[in-house]
This record gives sequence, C-alpha cells and structure tokens, in this order.
Amino acid sequence: MEKPVVVYEPFRAGLPPMREYLRSLWRRRTFIAEFSRSDLREQNYGSVFGQLWLVLNPLLLSAVYFLLIYVIGGSSDSIRFGHLTASLFLFYLIANSLTGGVKAITSGQRLILNTSFPRIMLPMSATVIALFKFIPTLIVFAVIHQIIGLPYSWQMFWAIPILLIALVMALGMAILISCINVYFRDISSMLPYLTRSLLYLSPILYEATNISDRIKSLEIANPIFFLLDSWSRVVVHAEAPSTYGLIHATAWSLFIFFVGTYFFLSRERDFAVRL
Amino acid sequence: MISLSDYNHEHSPHSVAVTVKDLGLTYTTSIDKKPTLKARLKTLGRGKKHTRIVRALNEVSIDVHYGTVLGIIGSNGAGKSSLMRVISGIVPPTQGRVEVYGSVSTLLALGVGFNPSMTGRDNVYLGGLAAGMSREEIDANFDAIADFSELGEAIDAPMRTYSSGMYARLAFSVAAVVEPDILIIDEALSTGDVKFKEKSLNRIKELRTADRALILVSHALATIEDICNEVVWLDKGKLMMRGKPTEVIAAYREFVDARKSASSDEDV
Repeated sequence: MEKPVVVYEPFRAGLPPMREYLRSLWRRRTFIAEFSRSDLREQNYGSVFGQLWLVLNPLLLSAVYFLLIYVIGGSSDSIRFGHLTASLFLFYLIANSLTGGVKAITSGQRLILNTSFPRIMLPMSATVIALFKFIPTLIVFAVIHQIIGLPYSWQMFWAIPILLIALVMALGMAILISCINVYFRDISSMLPYLTRSLLYLSPILYEATNISDRIKSLEIANPIFFLLDSWSRVVVHAEAPSTYGLIHATAWSLFIFFVGTYFFLSRERDFAVRL
Repeated sequence: MISLSDYNHEHSPHSVAVTVKDLGLTYTTSIDKKPTLKARLKTLGRGKKHTRIVRALNEVSIDVHYGTVLGIIGSNGAGKSSLMRVISGIVPPTQGRVEVYGSVSTLLALGVGFNPSMTGRDNVYLGGLAAGMSREEIDANFDAIADFSELGEAIDAPMRTYSSGMYARLAFSVAAVVEPDILIIDEALSTGDVKFKEKSLNRIKELRTADRALILVSHALATIEDICNEVVWLDKGKLMMRGKPTEVIAAYREFVDARKSASSDEDV
C-alpha cells in the first residue's frame, strides 16, 4: 500500500498538528511577501506618486507636527519634535498592523473557502505590510534626527530589541483581532476609536516623565505605554531604556502574541464555516 | 487551486487516490448573517441562540481510484460541498479519516480570486502561492492559464471590473490547466457562456486519464451521466447509493419524484 500524501483527521485538543502547520507555513513564506507587495501596489494604485507615498506620508506627517510645534507653538524644542515623530512612527507600526489585521480573515473569504492553507498567514501579512510602511519612516526619522541635532550614543542599539518587541506585539494584536472580527463583525468599526484612545493614552503627544505617578501606575494596563517610552528614550534621548520598561513591554507583547495565536489556532477550523 | 503540488507523487493507474473512512462533520455556525457584538449585547440574558450546530456529514465512506470520474449528486444541503471541502483539507473532519494520495486541485463554488481590487494576474499568483505552489510553477503555467481563460488584456485589470463569466473562466482555467493528480470541481460548470461551458467540458474529458481522478459535484444530471463512470448520491449527510451513473441517477430521480408527489398530495 502506498503512503498517503496527506491525512486529514480530527484536531486533537482543538489545535491543528503544530509541526505540520509550521512546515506548511514555512513553505508558503513567498505568499506573505507577494501578498504584501501586491497589497501595497494596489493601495497606491493610480495615485500620482505611487509607491513614493510610503516616504511622502511620514514626511508630510512630520511637516504637520513641525508646523504645530515650531511655527504655531513658537518653541524650538527639538527634543519634543523628535519625540513626537519617533513615537508616532512606531505607534503607526502597531496601529497599521491592527487596522490591516482586523479584516485579514473576513476579506480573505474566497481564498479561505477554496484553499487549504495555514490561515494565520493572512494576519501575518498584515503585520508585514505595516512593517513595509514603517521602514521608510525610520529613514525619515534618521534624517530628522540629524537635522534637528539630537544626541547619539551606543545606547541607541537598544532600538533593535525594542523594535523586535514592537513587531511581536503588532503581530500578536493582528492575529488576535483578525480572529475576534470573525465572531463580532462590528469590531472593525470600533477599531478607529480603540486606536485613537491608545494614541492618547500612550506617551506620544506627551512624554512619560510628564505625567503623575498615580496615572503612571495605571498605565501598567496599557500594553504599549512602556514600549513607546523605551523607544523614545533610546532613539530621541540616546539613553538606555529602563529595565522595568523593557520587562513590561516584553511581557505584554509575549502575552498578546501567545494568547492571540492560541485563540486563533484553536478557532481556525471554524473560519470556513463562519464566513 | 492546487495543494501539495510541490510533492511529485508517483502512482500507478487504478491505485487508490482518496479514501474517506467513517467521515463525520459537525460544525457550529452563526445564525446571523453578520454576527456582531451589538446583537450579542442586546440579547444578553434572554437566552437567544446565536449559533446552531450543523451535522453536515455522517459516517460517509468512499474510495476513489485513479482513472475514476466520480460524480456526486444530491439535493441542496446534502453535504456535497462539505465533503469536497474535507477532501481538499479546507475544513478538518470531526470524525473519521481522509487519506489523499496525490496533488489536489480544487475548484469550489466560489471560484478563484482573493482580493477583487487586485489584478487577475496578482490573484492567480496569490491563490497559487497560498495553495503551496512555488513561484516557478505558477510562472510555468501562467501563460496557459491566461490563454485558456480567453481574458486577453483583462488579466492585468483589477478583478472588480470582471463580469461573473470572466470570474468563472479564470477560476476554471486555474484549476484545470495545471494537470493535478486529483481534480475536484464543485458546481463550477454552470457559469460562463455556452462556448466556454463546452470548452471546459472538453477539457474535463481530456483530463480523464488512467492516472488521474476527477470528482465532480453537479446538479446537471445529464452532464454527470455523460462524463462520469461512477456516481455517489448523498442525502442529508449520508451516503445513499454508489454505483453506475445510470442506476444511481435513476434511483435519485425516483427518490426526488416520490418526495415531490408526496408533497403535492399534501396540498390537496
């Protein structure tokens, strides 16, 4: 008797066989790259500057804040301008991952109903797209950093682990919200308010040092508060991040990632019949 | 779409292609078309049900051998599409076991296409990559797919500009051009114009070789009788009969007619 190429059996403990799942995910890695590329192309399809928007967007955004702080505010506080742009760019990595992720499953309906593949690829692609949008902003910030004369130091290498934590956080959030949206379709309309609240509750328009200790103790509940604070300390102030901040950010990102992934994988078999 | 096509499977003619053993599929689905948090909160504590349990398949066992063209017939809700989805690995079974001995290409009811704002070309590539094909494999097949679909330059236009016939043509071309070991077609022949329907039927006939297995789901009994050499009849998730096309189709027709006359009697 020949060996079967594939065997489909009921899931044990609600999860698909992990080894096979990861292997088939790895085999399809080109899908994620191709999907992100076509999606970015399509988003800027027909616009005058095309893909140049990826750089123009952060440039225009920082121009607006330049206007706000330097021209209207009349101050020449380069730290404040640097903090605002750097934090906002990292915030957009997470916010874009959330907004891209929320409809990742529901809009992939045709593909999901027709093809067998690890569904987690779809929210993962949303995070990769957010990352592609983030990279140009990093370059824009590097230029701003130089122009406004912010300090440099070796401590700035902390930016690498902080970025990794931010990516895990963004991925976890995309996976979690894409799955929740299958069950509650109105989540996608609530999302703008959620990200807006997250924007105001996080140290972006203000610095973490400016708020009272009482409020700060409540910020333990905000997954990205200390992540953004650490980011600003490292890339704007060129200081080392606080150990507490790093632990807080890592713990939250791993928590969201694992909870989101478990929730997603255990529900994945449902998606084809729920769409 | 193809899955597992990166696996070059060797098989002898008439060996087994798919075995389905005691297959059961039960799933929970939402009653609302669009489940929302709002609807949940509004009916909180009132004991209103939001989900229902569907028993789609019940102890179905089938073997499909290479060289077979298997037709699947049955009324709406008989479990035909569910069975195809389980065999293609889209929905995992709740009971039993499915073994597949080759590469599978499926063309299910919804056809090709993933993101309507992307071009036909992008969608073909994305669909292929999602199904596990490599970019080279898609490259090698792409021209043939585009040719067969007769879409011309429209292949590079966003899919939202396509008519339903164009959708159907592209979908069929993707599934049928790549020469899989096992081809599953679920009610996809009913769309498209007469000319393309004939072309796709001819393509299916071409694909009927000893080293390939075809599974067709259709309500067009005449087509099934014409193409298939074996027919399975499902009703309410159960296997009713399996055998020669003429016999099974006759039995199915009798069953449907009997139900029809019973209900017309009730009217009197």
